[in-house]
Amino acid sequence: MLLRLPPSLHYPITVTSLLKQPGDSVERDEALFWYVYQTTVTEGDGLGNKIEVKRKFPTKFESTVDGEVVQWKIAKGDIIDEPVEVIEIDEPCAHEVQFGGLCAECGKDMTESTYNTEVTDSMRATIQMVHDNTALTVSEKEAARVEEDAKRRLLSNRKLSLVVDLDQTIIHATVDPTVGEWMEDKDNPNHQALSDVRAFQLVDDGPGMRGCWYYVKLRPGLESFLQNVSELFELHIYTMGTRAYAQHIASIIDPDRKLFGDRILSRDESGSLTAKNLHRLFPVDTKMVVIIDDRGDVWRWSPNLIKVSPYDFFVGIGDINSSFLPKKQELGAVGKSGEKVGTRHTKPPPLEHHVNGTTAKPEGEVSALEQLVTMGGGDNPRLLQEQTDAQEETIMHQVEDRPLLQKQKELDAEEDSAESIDSSSSMDESQDSSKHRHHLLEDNDRELFQLEERLEQVHKQFFEEYDLRRTRGLGGRVAALRGEKTPSKDKDVDLKLVPDIKDIMPQIKRQILGGVILVFSGVLPLGTDTQNADISLWAKSFGAVISQKINVKTTHLVAGRNRTAKVREATRYTNVKIVTTQWLLDCLTQWKWLDEEPYLLPVHPDDRGEPISPGSKEMESGWLSSSEDTGDFLTEEEDASESTEDLLKSTGLDEHSPIGYDEDQQAAVHEELKEFLGSDDESESDSEVSSWAEEATPNKKRKREEGSEGGDDEESQEEGDQPGSRLSQRIKRSYERSTGLKEVATAATDDPAQESHVATESNDESAQKESDEPASQDLNANLPEDPAEDDDELEREMMAAFEDGDYDAKAEEDIAAGNG
Amino acid sequence: MFFLKEETKVITLHPSYFGPNVREYLINRLNEEEEGRCTGDHFVICVMDMVDIGEGRVLPSSGQAEYTIKYRAIIWKPFRGETVDAIVTSVKPTGIFTLAGPLSVFIARKNIPSDIKWEPNTVPPQYTDHADQVIEKGTSLRLKILGVKPDVAAINAIGTIKEDYLGPL
Repeated sequence: MLLRLPPSLHYPITVTSLLKQPGDSVERDEALFWYVYQTTVTEGDGLGNKIEVKRKFPTKFESTVDGEVVQWKIAKGDIIDEPVEVIEIDEPCAHEVQFGGLCAECGKDMTESTYNTEVTDSMRATIQMVHDNTALTVSEKEAARVEEDAKRRLLSNRKLSLVVDLDQTIIHATVDPTVGEWMEDKDNPNHQALSDVRAFQLVDDGPGMRGCWYYVKLRPGLESFLQNVSELFELHIYTMGTRAYAQHIASIIDPDRKLFGDRILSRDESGSLTAKNLHRLFPVDTKMVVIIDDRGDVWRWSPNLIKVSPYDFFVGIGDINSSFLPKKQELGAVGKSGEKVGTRHTKPPPLEHHVNGTTAKPEGEVSALEQLVTMGGGDNPRLLQEQTDAQEETIMHQVEDRPLLQKQKELDAEEDSAESIDSSSSMDESQDSSKHRHHLLEDNDRELFQLEERLEQVHKQFFEEYDLRRTRGLGGRVAALRGEKTPSKDKDVDLKLVPDIKDIMPQIKRQILGGVILVFSGVLPLGTDTQNADISLWAKSFGAVISQKINVKTTHLVAGRNRTAKVREATRYTNVKIVTTQWLLDCLTQWKWLDEEPYLLPVHPDDRGEPISPGSKEMESGWLSSSEDTGDFLTEEEDASESTEDLLKSTGLDEHSPIGYDEDQQAAVHEELKEFLGSDDESESDSEVSSWAEEATPNKKRKREEGSEGGDDEESQEEGDQPGSRLSQRIKRSYERSTGLKEVATAATDDPAQESHVATESNDESAQKESDEPASQDLNANLPEDPAEDDDELEREMMAAFEDGDYDAKAEEDIAAGNG
Repeated sequence: MFFLKEETKVITLHPSYFGPNVREYLINRLNEEEEGRCTGDHFVICVMDMVDIGEGRVLPSSGQAEYTIKYRAIIWKPFRGETVDAIVTSVKPTGIFTLAGPLSVFIARKNIPSDIKWEPNTVPPQYTDHADQVIEKGTSLRLKILGVKPDVAAINAIGTIKEDYLGPL
């Protein structure tokens, strides 16, 4: 080891004599050489005065390590101005492997420090190498050596490493005791789906959760998946659960310990509770590692990651071990994706679909709210404690509140009421088919089958590339050394030629959506960074380009809701395909550019813009009416109206939020309005209400003709007036009434004389202004008045407000209903 | 190495335990709290007997009684150079983790005889010389302690099997 002078010496120093010769043995703290340094000191001159003088002091430099002197790098008489290397000492032990503060090879204490210590020896080995023990640390060199061995072995077996996440990736676990009861109860509608759920009890799980039973559902096809994949990959578990939890799960999914061995890394050893780090397992290089996980953010969207869609079997439970992680960014329909895929495969009776929709709803709403309360969570102990408490609380809540039971009850209640409503229309539905529809838990996830294909693909590509490089390399060498024996193919493993998964996988992925230029609409809440949101990062890893605005280059508009401003805008471009979020999610999970046809968003005829730009009226309507995002696919069928309702509920927050005003303000506006409009107003608002309930009144028609600037409002009201189902009308009406601004606008257009009213004026002005704007799309998107944005802005405000109080989606609906 | 050591411990007792069984209760408390404890220096294996329980003194203001108990216990203090038997808990390419009773001992690859090689392809993975010596999870080993490091409530040790008469039993 080369000894370097510390920066703390009084430079420059002059070496006066060397005390050791090459070959001498040196002990720690033994003097190596003498040197002289100069410094200023204060001295008395004997008369009481203090003067500063420069003095030279001789000092010796002491060794910080044991060993044998190999070579001096300095000579007697040298003047040294800065830290340099002075001597090379050969150590008997480099302390490369340390265990609990001891060198594992020589048994010396590594934490000892003296006045002379610059860095303690324990800093020589800082890398945690093994899965299940944190006391053992190794040096970089040692880690590289071990890893190289491992790579050689893997290459000769033609395997890669696969890091597997547990929760929501290959299993779904819950502590809700309801599951246990349902498993016992043969008559329970969920019994069948639960038949292969495994249970175990964690006894030593910390205070407060003593003896908690865990119920684990394996993702369908897991056994064969692991079996097949283990032939191509060496499997590691990396979970945010506790050690005991991970061990139990491992013994369930791998009873013989053949697949995972003891390559299990849990939260106890992870080192960080907020992020997973590949370097914890593969400190040197990650060329041959593939990760499967349902969360990309914890891996910081590592290029080694294959993100899978989360397995959500116990509806609404989520990941029981994620309390430490930042809240998941909910990708709109992502929670339902599994079910939707399922419905597509199995084609169940139409009503089942809606059952799924409603059950998934509460979770969606809650997490939409929660995602604002992002738990960053560093590793500071106080926060850690809080989070541990939070985790325990989550568990306790699940045990006590039994969310599944509640959901099933809700579901049953909803079903019953739905049945009583459409009993007239669907008399023929037999009682037992309805019983089947009652179950909450669905067992139709197909993700693992797709995942297996993808992993095979990656594996194949990797070794094709490797073989290619090797034959190329070998060819060169063989040509050079003609006549020499070619090394046997399997023995000769050349680590330099190993391709990097980080190059190969993105290469495969990037082709999939290469050339796609996406614009999101109604997918991400306003204010989130569209480039760095989960779904954007995910899409980008597949080669898609996310752009903010629609232009001629845009290929797809991914719409989370129908009838947004962007949807309207997109209809004007023939090249833009307007698809649902599901299309993107399915593409990303299936690694295919899927045919857009089944996913096309049904665009409302009114939203169809002319292909050429400056149709000012359409533009206007496009901007103004997006607050009016209510489902437009109203049909006569009861089913459809119900689906609309589902849709509305699932996106409930934005739909119900009154634009620009909270309740009080709204009330104030009403008051003001009354004042301004006098008795005339009353009749007007009456007529408006009635117009919603009944068919369009002549009054209405007249208004429309008169107030052409406010065209949008009128138009959308007009739509609402079209005969739809009773239910949908009612919904519409309630929205209509919850938006105070709209009434203002209506009133104004009705009575132009009153246009001096502040609110109306501003509204009209903005409308005017917008209609004056040239219809270029860039401007559209930038317009601050863009109602879609407004809407979203509000939504965020609302949510922020609700954060404080205990927010409850139901309560909001009630309020909305109350407003109406 | 094992020792019979006389130690004292102060136990405070809540008034609700005052009564005819107070002695019994104290003994139970002592056994519960002391046996299996690691002081960082040694492990208390077993409390042998009470030398003296002493008079209980009621503490002013709290009403609790304080007993100073003298007892003898068997303790185990691992020393460098000591030879112990241990059970393998896991094997890694970097070495072998073992447990000698309550003491966790790590054997680095360097301290394993060079003919016993890491063999990762077997299930479970093992160290073996491809003859009669196989070290895998659960194997009993005789090892020599190379170094001991006391910690707050644990002792870490490293060991070697690279000497005569050491290795799998």
